[in-house]
Amino acid sequence: MAIPHPRDIQLAAVRWLDERYPFTKAIDEAMYQRVPNFANAFYYCFGGMVFVIIVLQLVTGILLAIYYVPDARGNPAAAYNSVLFIQNTVYLGWLIRGVHFWGANILIFMVLLHMARVYWTGSYRAPRELNWIVGAIMLLLILAFALTGYLLPWDTKAYFATEVTIKIAGSPPPPQLGAFIKTILQGGPVVGPSTLQIFFTAHVFLLPALIVLLMYVHFKFIRAHGIAEPL
Amino acid sequence: MSDPQGTDDVLKEGPGAAVAEPKEVQIIELDGHVGHTLEPEWKRLPIGPDNILYPVIVGIALFPLLMGDAGHHLADDMPDEDTHPFFPDHFWPYPVIIIVMMITLGLLAAFVQKNLQLEAPADPRAVTIPRPDWYFLFLFQFIKLGPELVMSVVIPTVIIIVFLVWPFIDAIAGPRVAKRLGWKRWPVPGRNVMSGTGFVVFLLIIAVLEVWALAGPGFCLPWLTGPVCGA
Repeated sequence: MAIPHPRDIQLAAVRWLDERYPFTKAIDEAMYQRVPNFANAFYYCFGGMVFVIIVLQLVTGILLAIYYVPDARGNPAAAYNSVLFIQNTVYLGWLIRGVHFWGANILIFMVLLHMARVYWTGSYRAPRELNWIVGAIMLLLILAFALTGYLLPWDTKAYFATEVTIKIAGSPPPPQLGAFIKTILQGGPVVGPSTLQIFFTAHVFLLPALIVLLMYVHFKFIRAHGIAEPL
Repeated sequence: MSDPQGTDDVLKEGPGAAVAEPKEVQIIELDGHVGHTLEPEWKRLPIGPDNILYPVIVGIALFPLLMGDAGHHLADDMPDEDTHPFFPDHFWPYPVIIIVMMITLGLLAAFVQKNLQLEAPADPRAVTIPRPDWYFLFLFQFIKLGPELVMSVVIPTVIIIVFLVWPFIDAIAGPRVAKRLGWKRWPVPGRNVMSGTGFVVFLLIIAVLEVWALAGPGFCLPWLTGPVCGA
């Protein structure tokens, strides 16, 4: 029996896949589709840069989660020690944590730049209103990411910044509502281990799931509407 | 060779047997396909389904694949000289952006370690001036400018709601403003200056509050309620 050429094996595999879903066709349509020339303006790349940073944040975040311990009991707490361990002992831990930290800061800048571009080109207008709302919700999610991530190292500045935030978040009247918000965020009478547990869960499970879902919706909308024409 | 029964079966085996023609594959059409103008075959990347590198292309194309069919879009109705193919003409800046971004973040992580260093472990008894991170510092400063509840809850909530429903505010208020200014059309091409400038002014106010807070407790400016100092 003759040994088939690897190319024939690959072709057979591609044909097998294409019989089940039009992969080749989808790839051709994605790659060789034509794009309007106006989309080459530099300010159209801010959204793509935000996407790149979010992917970097997901990757470095997963790497940090391997060593991080969300436990705030004791002094110094295990959470604090684990961040010190990442920073000083883990191979290239300082780099991963540094990229996550600076990525978070630059991300907020890039989101504001992207938003400014959308304002200047009037891209939020019909039929793109829903995509604007999805984007605005994602801005709030990113601020929530920043807020919850800031507490995780469990050092003095993180602790007191969170205490102030929770005090402000728990201030709207009536007092029952304020107390309710405060309980949800704080999980106890003071900022303590349960607060860290709640913030960690939000930062690592809830918010990433929400933002990935909304990014998918955001891109689906962009593909449906096409790139907005500049004014 | 006379074999009255099953000559065909015999011929299908052995070295001299005829090679079976590959079955005609029926490709499943994507939903709502309207026929895009794709690049002609000779202009495409010479990596087809039979090339060893095709799996790499499939990997790159996984993202648009997830997104599904783009539907009929603007570029399909534009003359060829006003459009360009997505790959490589529109795609090539993104790898460059990714590399520049990763190098920037790596350099920041390597040389601006000061911001990454932890303070003392969290201790509720510590005496410290609480101060949030920079993306909430402007809000922290803003709260000092008036009654706390209004500044910390009412105004931020109103601003968030205005941002979320901005396309509708624009659609309702825009034509009226245009009428008053004697413009014939809304939206006017090239004149989204008002909302664009509005957003930039909003960012500038945030920047001023930020700098004010960063200037420190010793830096005080007169205000309606008396002098207000930085954080």
